[in-house]
Amino acid sequence: MHWLFLSCLKATELIEKKMSFRLSSKEKMQLMMHKAMCEACSRYEKQSQLIDEVISGQAPKTPSEGEVNLLKQKILSDLDVAQK
Amino acid sequence: MNSGSNGTVSLSEWVENYTKDLYSWALHKVSDRELAKDLVQDTFLVAAEKLTSWKRESSPKTWLFSILNHKIIDYYRKKVRQPVSLENQPESLFFDETGDWNTNNRPGEWDEEGKNLLDDADFRSVLQTCLEALPEKWNTCVKLKYLMNKNGEEICQELDIAPTNLWQMVHRAKLQLRNCIETNWFKD
Repeated sequence: MHWLFLSCLKATELIEKKMSFRLSSKEKMQLMMHKAMCEACSRYEKQSQLIDEVISGQAPKTPSEGEVNLLKQKILSDLDVAQK
Repeated sequence: MNSGSNGTVSLSEWVENYTKDLYSWALHKVSDRELAKDLVQDTFLVAAEKLTSWKRESSPKTWLFSILNHKIIDYYRKKVRQPVSLENQPESLFFDETGDWNTNNRPGEWDEEGKNLLDDADFRSVLQTCLEALPEKWNTCVKLKYLMNKNGEEICQELDIAPTNLWQMVHRAKLQLRNCIETNWFKD
């Protein structure tokens, strides 16, 4: 296979690499070529980015007052035991 | 603040004042209530043990948070080190031996007319369910990537793993996640 051509397995791997790290110029070229020819991997990239956005946009859960109070009591009794 | 005989007194004040913030933080980082509680409990136990080494230059809150953050990273570090079983190699599920998509798992079109998936509560709940259904190790990787607010290099450094490992693990997790979403959301 010509060095410019990637399998879909490799291409999707590079898509993930691109989102956490940087691609080398060669990898960028390879990925561009591949996406130009492969609809499935182009979709994969869009969907993967969407998944990222949804996950990182999730609001942090806020614990309830009661839950926090129970936890405080637990910790205090832990500490009591540890002191003895 | 005195250590020694007054240690207990000050610690219980800290428990009162900082438990909520510590717990919220831990919950955000590990998104598991029981685990988050354990981490906060451990944090205070460590604090009790090391109270004499606490330097007054840092506020108690900063100090407690730094203990908690160590605990969180430790937790993830142990997770990532656990070996992955080979039966769970998903590449072969998704790609044939030449690396082409298997017909059944080839990504389909997700666009639905006028629908913004980003704001769609149902879509988000499908994603959440799929995230929880991931094998533990991959779930850990995805959480790490998004919840630690860190870039790839920093995560690798902290967990002491090679970059290649990280993005390959994320890749596997993503393949499963994507497929699970497509199956549960689009093919109903």
